Amino acid sequence: MIGLVNRMLTGLIVLAASYPFVWMLASSFKTNREIYQPGKFLPDSLDPFAYRLLFSGELFDFSAVLVRSILLSAGQAVLACFLTAATGFALAKGTFRGKSLLFGAALLIILYPKQAMSLALFEWLARLGITGNYYGLLFSGVSSGLGVIFFTQVFRKIPDELIDLARLEGQSLTLLFFTLLPLVMPAFLTYGILHFFLSWQEHLLPLLVLGKEQLTLPLVLAKLGDSSYRIPEAAGLAAGVLAIVPFILLFGYFFRRIRTALSDWVVS
Amino acid sequence: MRRVGPLVLPFTALWGFFWLAPFWIGLDIALSTPGASGFKDLSFAQFERVLNDPKFLHSLENTTVYVLGTVLVTLGVSFFLALSLSGMGRMVRSVCLFLLLIPGFALPGSLATLFYLFFHGKSGALNQFIVIPLGFEPVNWMMDPAWILPCLVMQAVWRWTGLVTLVLYCGICAIPKWQFEVAQIEGVSAWYRVRTIFFPGIRHLLLFAGVFLAVDGVAAFSGAYNLLGGSGGVLDSGLLFVTYAYQVAFPGGSGRFDLPMASAGCVLVASATAFGAWFILWVQRQRDNRI
Repeated sequence: MIGLVNRMLTGLIVLAASYPFVWMLASSFKTNREIYQPGKFLPDSLDPFAYRLLFSGELFDFSAVLVRSILLSAGQAVLACFLTAATGFALAKGTFRGKSLLFGAALLIILYPKQAMSLALFEWLARLGITGNYYGLLFSGVSSGLGVIFFTQVFRKIPDELIDLARLEGQSLTLLFFTLLPLVMPAFLTYGILHFFLSWQEHLLPLLVLGKEQLTLPLVLAKLGDSSYRIPEAAGLAAGVLAIVPFILLFGYFFRRIRTALSDWVVS
Repeated sequence: MRRVGPLVLPFTALWGFFWLAPFWIGLDIALSTPGASGFKDLSFAQFERVLNDPKFLHSLENTTVYVLGTVLVTLGVSFFLALSLSGMGRMVRSVCLFLLLIPGFALPGSLATLFYLFFHGKSGALNQFIVIPLGFEPVNWMMDPAWILPCLVMQAVWRWTGLVTLVLYCGICAIPKWQFEVAQIEGVSAWYRVRTIFFPGIRHLLLFAGVFLAVDGVAAFSGAYNLLGGSGGVLDSGLLFVTYAYQVAFPGGSGRFDLPMASAGCVLVASATAFGAWFILWVQRQRDNRI
């Protein structure tokens, strides 16, 4: 009996988590009038007028914004993966002065609320004259504390014998890191995707740092929300669908590997 | 000692440039006096100003409620889900886990649009499907000061529950099987198993997730910004700390352009949060070492 109740409750929560997105997809084909009738789940017609409106460039250059956001987030994720994995590897397998300090710095990045740092970071970038371009935004998110801690745990599981063997062959630790990368590819991929999502959802720093012509998708969506009285609600929902569907597919494709990598990390 | 310079230098340099330097700048601005800057004119005037600002205290109060609500509800629901999923078949479990993760993918903007439409007055889905059918008066979610903060908490819980469930589920999978076999032989109750096997088995993960959610809660901005249009909502009842700092520093809200006061608030709150989070982890570590 308890098992049945548990399963029903779980089913309800799962439904509550996923229903809004199915509704969002259906509502991206609806008129404003239909959207404000919550009992009405399916649209009267499957006219993709909101998608046409988005890609027509009438509201904003959606394709350019999407590509720009993807490039920024992907670039940051790739850089973060390499840099934090290298640091994590050094922390796990290297012996050097300042090791605890470096680990402490990584922990500090996690524990110090990032958004509270944004104002000071903006001021710093403004003093250096690098606001209004993508570099400040791209590089500021690369030094991820979570990545360092994650990869330190991942590399701790690599047998020390491999390191000793490499030492006997005179291989440097840096070269060894690149040699061992294929072994931790699932973890690399997992962290890359996680970092991509965190960067993809970044709001405050892009709001402060980027110019009006450089906005990323979260900022444009927020602007669409502000002006919803002038444009169809479906346009915002269609943009939301287009922003999420490719990544659900990507995550779905790698889901098993991500789960395995997370399980390994949790165990370590 | 082996040469680790090429491995750690890029990260360290970027950390110094994009974390340490801004931290120093923030501290410098917070400790400056009007018309002067730098540690030469060391002054706590900005801290005094921010601590005497009722709006700052109000935002802290809201943020505390928001963080507590988010952490407690998310951990509770995720723990239940992880337990429940661990007893299900592989296929169903994978599908459920994946569906639960979907809200985490959404951009804050689309999440806010969705929530806005769900909370929207009498015609919103929440009123139509839950409140009115249960015989209650429809709630004006986004206009009633008593409900704005719970709406923000619901949004955060909805966003994070999937990811936390996945992590806790992975933790449950790592609990040694012999513990369950012994419990089965002993014929202990389900509740006893939860208390003595599941909970101690994933205690560390619950703590880690709790700390992560708390830090993220203090730093919450985009959800509230999108849902409330950059304001704190009616009577500032949804004003969270970062929104307050943004309003004080930039023309987004009150247009005060008061960066020193905003910096002082940020230094205070962020440092206290980091210290609190570190202290919790440290206490846990000490306890583990004793065991």
